[in-house]
Amino acid sequence: MSDKLAHLRRRNSNIPLHLMLLPGVLVTLIYAYGPILGVVMAFQKYEPALGFLKSEWVGWENFEYVFNLPDFNQVLWNTVLIASLKIVFSLMVPLLLALLLNEVTKNWFKRIIQTSIFLPFFLSWAVLGGVILELFSLNGPINSLVSSLGLEPTMFMGNNSWFRAIIIGSDVWKGMGYNMIIFLAAITGINASLYEAAEVDGAGRWKQMVHITLPGMMPIIILIGTLSLGGILNAGFDQILIMYNPIVYEGADVIDTFTYRLGLFSQQFAPATAVGLFKSGISLALVSLSYYLAYKFSNYRIF
Amino acid sequence: MFYKQSINRKLFVWVNAAALTFITLIGIVPFIHLLAVSLSSNTAAMAGEVKLIPIGITLDAYDYLIHKVEFLRSLVVSLKRVVLGTAINMFLVFITAYPLAKSTEQFRARTAYVWFFAITIFLGGGLIPTFIIVKETGLINSIWALILPGALNVWNMIMMLNFFRGIPKEMEEAATIDGAGHWVLLWKIYLPVSLPSIATIGLFTVVGHWNSWFDGILYMNSPENYPLQTYLSTLITAMNAQIQSISVEQLKALENLSEKTLRTAQIFMGALPILMVYPFLQKYFIKGMTVGSVKE
Amino acid sequence: MIKKVVSSVLISTLLAASLAACGSSNENASNSNAATPTNQSHDANEPAAAPDPLGKYEQPVTVTEVIGYRPPEDAGTPKGITPEQNAYLKDLKEAMNIEIKYLWAVPSEQFEQKFSLALATGDLPDVMQVDTKTFEKLKKQDMLADMTDAYNNYATPELKEWIESDGGFTLKTVTSEGKILGIPSFEDPYMSTQLIWIRKDWLKNLNLEAPKTIDELEKVAEAFVNNDPDKNGKDDTYGIAMQKALIGWGFDARGLFNGFGSAPKSWLKGADGKLAAGEIQPEAKEALAKLQSWYQKGIIDQEFALKDETKMSEDITAGKVGITYGEWWVPNWPLNLNMDKDPNAEWEAYQIPGLNGPGKSLVGKLRLNSITVVNKKFEHPEAAVKMINFYNLMLNKENFEKNKAEDGYVYNWFQPRIYQPNLFDVIYDEVNKAIAANQDEIPVTDSSYRGINDVFLATKAFLAGDTSTRSKGTNWGLYASRAAENGGWGLTRKIRESGQVFFNEFYGLPTPTQLDKGSQLDKLIDETYIKIIMGDSLSEFDKFVSSWKKLGGDDITNEVNEWYEKEAVK
Repeated sequence: MSDKLAHLRRRNSNIPLHLMLLPGVLVTLIYAYGPILGVVMAFQKYEPALGFLKSEWVGWENFEYVFNLPDFNQVLWNTVLIASLKIVFSLMVPLLLALLLNEVTKNWFKRIIQTSIFLPFFLSWAVLGGVILELFSLNGPINSLVSSLGLEPTMFMGNNSWFRAIIIGSDVWKGMGYNMIIFLAAITGINASLYEAAEVDGAGRWKQMVHITLPGMMPIIILIGTLSLGGILNAGFDQILIMYNPIVYEGADVIDTFTYRLGLFSQQFAPATAVGLFKSGISLALVSLSYYLAYKFSNYRIF
Repeated sequence: MFYKQSINRKLFVWVNAAALTFITLIGIVPFIHLLAVSLSSNTAAMAGEVKLIPIGITLDAYDYLIHKVEFLRSLVVSLKRVVLGTAINMFLVFITAYPLAKSTEQFRARTAYVWFFAITIFLGGGLIPTFIIVKETGLINSIWALILPGALNVWNMIMMLNFFRGIPKEMEEAATIDGAGHWVLLWKIYLPVSLPSIATIGLFTVVGHWNSWFDGILYMNSPENYPLQTYLSTLITAMNAQIQSISVEQLKALENLSEKTLRTAQIFMGALPILMVYPFLQKYFIKGMTVGSVKE
Repeated sequence: MIKKVVSSVLISTLLAASLAACGSSNENASNSNAATPTNQSHDANEPAAAPDPLGKYEQPVTVTEVIGYRPPEDAGTPKGITPEQNAYLKDLKEAMNIEIKYLWAVPSEQFEQKFSLALATGDLPDVMQVDTKTFEKLKKQDMLADMTDAYNNYATPELKEWIESDGGFTLKTVTSEGKILGIPSFEDPYMSTQLIWIRKDWLKNLNLEAPKTIDELEKVAEAFVNNDPDKNGKDDTYGIAMQKALIGWGFDARGLFNGFGSAPKSWLKGADGKLAAGEIQPEAKEALAKLQSWYQKGIIDQEFALKDETKMSEDITAGKVGITYGEWWVPNWPLNLNMDKDPNAEWEAYQIPGLNGPGKSLVGKLRLNSITVVNKKFEHPEAAVKMINFYNLMLNKENFEKNKAEDGYVYNWFQPRIYQPNLFDVIYDEVNKAIAANQDEIPVTDSSYRGINDVFLATKAFLAGDTSTRSKGTNWGLYASRAAENGGWGLTRKIRESGQVFFNEFYGLPTPTQLDKGSQLDKLIDETYIKIIMGDSLSEFDKFVSSWKKLGGDDITNEVNEWYEKEAVK
């Protein structure tokens, strides 16, 4: 069989494949690689009047400035903590939901649930933030529930640990419909004959899930996991900006809100670009690493 | 499908249904809240008293909304953007993912290409350089500024590539032996069997175009060209917390905040059209044409 | 003070009347180059071919601009109209041969983002209205045209009267090395005077007097918390509105701090003549101690640290709270909403309580809203001044009545616009005069007509209980903020006259250390203050002071004092 493939390969030139890639390459070159040249700003004292070519070069000064700001370590830690928990739960929860939904046999029920799980995705944080603050306020429904259980009402949004938990939980909730659909699509891609064979062998639903569904979804799970690693320094700017308050600065101030406040005092483009470049560098390194690991240990190319 | 229904299984089905119903409900709550506010009297809304049930029911906001030129104008821009943008995005995703889904043995250059694309997910030039490029390519104030810079969504393309890999090699081989070239393979073999993934990625593309608002602010020089979400974002922008005193001009902005029911009605209506697309695509995620079903 | 105000009203009335005459008779009149200069004959030094502030260019001049705009205020405006279609632009072209081209026109909420992008990419228009920060930035990059001649030769006497009404103080701040780099638009700095607004009907319900001292205020507030001031039989009210931005723009603690003689995030002159930061003074600690005890007593909302201004406006509208600190404008929003919701609601403004009797409020030295500047590349700086003249002419009674919103005239879209600095005093005087004389119309016809007329109509309607055009709350909001004797501006005037204020002496731009460390220090202030109020030990304040100093506060103090010695206009 491999002989036959090799034979075919020699006969079919790859030129059509290159041609197919041409439009995508062009668009990417112009609109993605073009602007990347702008990162030189991170090494400049950028003055709009002078532009990129004539602005003064300052080396690593912008980076040093940002890293030496007091609190930067705390902020970096907050960012990584919040972002990595978001990554983990944004993977696990939709996966669980997809598996549960797959067990539902009534189609109308499936549809309603799918649609409504996706609903929060369409609202901005500016709108949702208010609803969430309301839910968790001292007189809100969550606290009525808490006090009906005989516990003391808590000021959830004024407590660093609770605040982080709510930030993470609400973000997972808002986005869970998205990954869930990818996982559902992956499930539909699994060869139905495998289930039929398992059925014949007398495997129950649980065994089918563990031995057929999950392994069948693995490539997609690894792919999504790897790609989301790139967001390790994105803890969610809009969301935190709208929901945080001075009491939880300690636990909720993240890189993006931090640079935002820097920018409020003066429009400092260069340090912001330096922060952006730092973030890109870290995520590129992480993603490359996991790409390499996946290839090395399971001989699977994520992309 | 046929299987024995044990007691455990029955219990599971019910618990599962209950859990999913609960999740469904909390997903709907914000929308019910928006709907309730938009149907309430403005004073009740401004007092923050409306939760899930309208107070002092009135259709005034919607009555006003159907005459609101800005809303309707932006709705048209958004629809145009979604149709054009999705068609172009899907085409590019499709023709780019196909060659890259080949194995390294089949297509040596694929890995280089794939990294060329993948890097752009993580490394961006930032706002200002991107703006300059869009301006230099003459797209400012045209709908193409909202479409071309993101015409190839690399994330979606990589996902498509992975779906393509799931297609059994045998189908391709059979067709190749029959003398089919790459174009024929792509449209006659890959397209029909990838409907679930096309529906998925298509949905993301539609939603992405519908939801994005910031590029509208950046590239459009007049609100006549604003897509709906860009227009809606003007309704929820908060006053800058840094100012320490309100001028007469800023006071006017505060007074505008008083039309809360109208603002809410627009936010609510802004989410509706996209929800209508959903059911059309949905059947593909539930029991789409699985690859296995065309195995002959 | 009063004398000066009256005379300036008189002068501007006369001048505008004469300008209106030449502007409206027909377009050729202003072109003939004769009418205006003869009216100004007292300017003996003017050369023979005097520049005409309202003259028409022979060749069309194109001026590029950018604007951020709000929806038209008049409901009769044609639907879907855009700034390019504003009928004033057509008239400007006819009157002065100036064509305005908008590089972009966006809703005002997005102006800032859009403008900073334009700034970053260097795509600036010919004429623009900028804030002080942008002004300094453009000045530093040498991008501003010299407007000295344009101002001296083309500003109408009325405009000059406005700009120099503060003795030239503001004009000096936009002058660099003898060159006027922009035309400032400013308001009376006393507009930031803190007042305290109290539900008078609640005071009556509980048989209480309006508080004069902070202790009295505490008693009233406690009664508002505990004694069911709205008599609805429910424990659903708290004392004083407060939200997470303690030093913000509304429903905040500025007024309370001022009552203690304290002003965080401001610079006060100490006994040694040097400026000192308000946030580290012992008075601030006293105020915090008070707030802490109020928090314990439930006078301020238990969750104030989670709430923002919008949330506070909801509480006020809903009738949950009956006391708020605030400026003259609070009746305009959101007290008017509360009035509309609760027909019994009555709000009254009082001078802020101090330690032993009414307290002094902080006011700024300068209240510069915007500066009209011209791009250095643009050849006709005087066009900007002429456009301002044109706009002021359009505000007078005759033009205002002729140019109907229905025909596409949207006055608040025109740029550049300069505020008449004493407009609020003019409105107050004229409206009260007209009401006292029981007139049906105001006699003023000059460029302050529009502003006065609006308040006049609302006041008349409110006093007559007429709600046919606007709700009771809206009418009252305009009346109580601008025309009522003990309303927002009425009381502010009294405070201004009695000098019950102290000053924020620093009005310069952020110093270099402020740029670097300011956001960190602000975070430190907000965090420490709020935590103290919510129960942290008061000794945290002393720790805060020393870390504030170490983290750059001392450097900033030095820089600010250096500025004060060298650059402050004294």
